[in-house]
Amino acid sequence: MHPPQGMPPKMAIPGVKYLIAVASGKGGVGKSTVAANLALALKLHGQRVGLMDADIYGPSVPTMMGLGMVDQTTTPFPIEKYGIKLMSMGFLVDQNQAVIWRGPKVAQAVAAFLGQINWGDLDYLIIDLPPGTGDAQLTLTQQAPLTGAVVVTTPQDISLIDARKGLKMFNEVRVPVIGVIENMSYFMGDDGKRYEIFRHGGGQKLAREGGVPLLGEIPIDPRVAECGDTGEPIVSRYPDSPVASAYLKLALVVMDESRRTAGQSDLPEVQL
Amino acid sequence: MPDPLLKPLNVRRVGDGLTIGWNDGVRTHASWRTLRDKCPCATCLDKTEKPPDPFRILSDKEIAAGAPVPVQMNARGHYAYQIVWNDGHDTGIYSLDYLRQISNPVPADGKEN
Repeated sequence: MHPPQGMPPKMAIPGVKYLIAVASGKGGVGKSTVAANLALALKLHGQRVGLMDADIYGPSVPTMMGLGMVDQTTTPFPIEKYGIKLMSMGFLVDQNQAVIWRGPKVAQAVAAFLGQINWGDLDYLIIDLPPGTGDAQLTLTQQAPLTGAVVVTTPQDISLIDARKGLKMFNEVRVPVIGVIENMSYFMGDDGKRYEIFRHGGGQKLAREGGVPLLGEIPIDPRVAECGDTGEPIVSRYPDSPVASAYLKLALVVMDESRRTAGQSDLPEVQL
Repeated sequence: MPDPLLKPLNVRRVGDGLTIGWNDGVRTHASWRTLRDKCPCATCLDKTEKPPDPFRILSDKEIAAGAPVPVQMNARGHYAYQIVWNDGHDTGIYSLDYLRQISNPVPADGKEN
């Protein structure tokens, strides 16, 4: 019998119950912010959570979690912070150094993060995907038993065009889309007025087109950026803020949907 | 257009091919030869798009392998199967829609061929 040469078979991750991808077609919509805060919100709901940064070229998780490059010879992975298990390319490469790799190397790194890191027993492994529909996404959808995906967009059309592609990719590879989250949805002024800085209704429109629920509209809060830059996501630092409460609600939906859809998409084994 | 609801309930070897029972009640069959000839990987697509080369020399592996038979068939994510053939070729990822498209319906009381 010949072992598979090109690609390894789909890998189950021992001890991990649900795998959730956080994706968007477009860069800069706040995927990593959503992924980190969703992970922390799940943790606040009593879940055991890991966060895997699949953005090999532009890892954000270390900065958001107040970490940086570590000595690989003395640091066991995953690294734990705020009770979340973390893995990122940013732990391996200095943040001022560019990772200049072709696609197959990216796929290899993503597969290694999934399969060679001892994640231990987790209820949720949140995967922060890079923008686009390329190698990292394909590796994940082919090799990881994804429970579902959350698609992040901002309200304006330019973001929707690419988010639509992300949604289409998940449909084609039959990963259940839990829903759409509209980030940077609006700003609530001190005058109590709602300012829709990036226009209105994009998330709703995308969700309707894709036949999936709109999971929430996350307001703009300058503290989100401050928290991200200083290494403690807003759900952890300001758990009573409206943004944190939006993430806590999102986490509940993700928990419900994960329980509902887990295993439903698995393909039968072939009897040869 | 892929049908997201279409799903195989069982996939098994019958005779010299693969029979799939689908969730819409249809059963289809494709011979190993058909599946090998219609491998959707980039290398095979490149070959099939060119006119056949009558002077192509078979590799030692192909000669040793004989007729195509899968030695392994694994699910890839939720949407496809990867076939590992007895000649060592393993880069074809057969999506469910593609498998349905290249296999033939088998009548309820019919025989796969």
